[in-house]
Amino acid sequence: MTETRIENPIIEVNNLKFYYPGNARALHGIDLRIPEKQVTALIGPSGCGKSTLIRCFNRMNDLIDGCRVEGEVILEGENIYAKDTDIIELRREAGMVFQKSNPFPKSIYENVIYGLRIAGEKDKRLFDERVESSLKAAALWDEVKDRLHESALGLSGGQMQRLCIARAIAVNPKVILMDEPCSALDPKSTARVEETIKELRNEYTIIIVTHNMQQAARVSDYTAFLFEGSLIEFGSTDQLFVKPQNKQTEDYITGRFG
Amino acid sequence: MGYLYDSLLAAIKLIVGFDKDVLITVWTSLYTSTVAILLASLLGIPVGLWLGISKFRGRRALVTLLNTLMALPTVVVGLLLFGVLSRQGPLGGWGLLFTPAAMILGQMVLATPIVANYVHAAVIGADRRILPTLRSLGATSWQASLQLLRDIRFGVMAAVIAGFGRVIAEVGIAMMLGGNIRGTTRTMTTAIALETSKGEFAFGLSLGLVLMAVALLVNLGLNFLQQR
Repeated sequence: MTETRIENPIIEVNNLKFYYPGNARALHGIDLRIPEKQVTALIGPSGCGKSTLIRCFNRMNDLIDGCRVEGEVILEGENIYAKDTDIIELRREAGMVFQKSNPFPKSIYENVIYGLRIAGEKDKRLFDERVESSLKAAALWDEVKDRLHESALGLSGGQMQRLCIARAIAVNPKVILMDEPCSALDPKSTARVEETIKELRNEYTIIIVTHNMQQAARVSDYTAFLFEGSLIEFGSTDQLFVKPQNKQTEDYITGRFG
Repeated sequence: MGYLYDSLLAAIKLIVGFDKDVLITVWTSLYTSTVAILLASLLGIPVGLWLGISKFRGRRALVTLLNTLMALPTVVVGLLLFGVLSRQGPLGGWGLLFTPAAMILGQMVLATPIVANYVHAAVIGADRRILPTLRSLGATSWQASLQLLRDIRFGVMAAVIAGFGRVIAEVGIAMMLGGNIRGTTRTMTTAIALETSKGEFAFGLSLGLVLMAVALLVNLGLNFLQQR
């Protein structure tokens, strides 16, 4: 595999192995460097481990009983699997947007500030500020600014997903992890969310898992191709899609399997 | 027809005339049931939440057990606690038998599985993604559980109401552990049973009406809360 050298990565994955309960190995020693303030896409066929990998970045896999991790994930110089890692703090630094939008049954405003509230924040002015800046960053502000106190469940699917992005942004994360954020959206809403992702790149590092190769090609700067729990190829998206170095990568992106 | 009609008139007269015996009986029923359901909720809600959220060996068996306990006959609860609370029983020294406290204890035993089961069902029916989402935003498992509880509050309310309905309408426990003592442990249901067998149909009927009115009020209250 040709190495695309990433200088000063925000995340460095070293020989990461992941086992689901019952010792089923889902990741077979991943080495990967994620560039800062870029969009990195994780692609690959179902079951290749891309969702497992993205969930290693904020230790969401810890919620599964009986799973096991070996190796390191270094976020800004600190191994997040070290014994003294504050997982709550880690999850604030690496926010997550899920496959299907899942706003809480609360107002739009309360949804955005939820992460701040549970962190013990009480400053009303800060709330107002964050709601505006996060919704603006998620490109939702203009659509909802007059109904911030109405229920978030009244929004359209695409708006809900952008609200979930705003909710993740509001706690000031460094990295935003997106696990197939558009898979439940119609093409128009998908386009809006993709626009949002491109704009967010200026402020945040984004890692996105996607099934949709066109989407990876459209939104990402770098792409990692995973297959059966191994990283097959990593490179700039332009290079990987136009001139893949690996036969398997080529087969996958040309639609020969997967 | 005349008999029923006359009894109904007499019953209404007893209610609107604030008959002292009727009032005391209604009050006994209400406060014992309320305290019992509060205690049962304190116990049952966390148990239901825990059963719904956590995964552990024997969880299924526990759920099945709780389901079985939901169908617990009141006289069996009465019987078992009678054995425990009677003079010769392990807790006989507490002198609880034939006091309101004994009824409350029995009714709590009756209602706790109901509350736990309903809450468990509400957790299972809730959006499965809410807990991971909350955790991804940095919530501790305690904060996440509280938020989940807030989201399923209608299910929790239904659990409490169902438990309350069961408790206020039961006769067996109140009869066996309370003893139907006038002025202290006579509840609406035990009084209805007694007065009817004594031939005081109107008195029984008046309590029956109050009992149904309580059920109606509780449900109206629930409706009101749900619409807000």
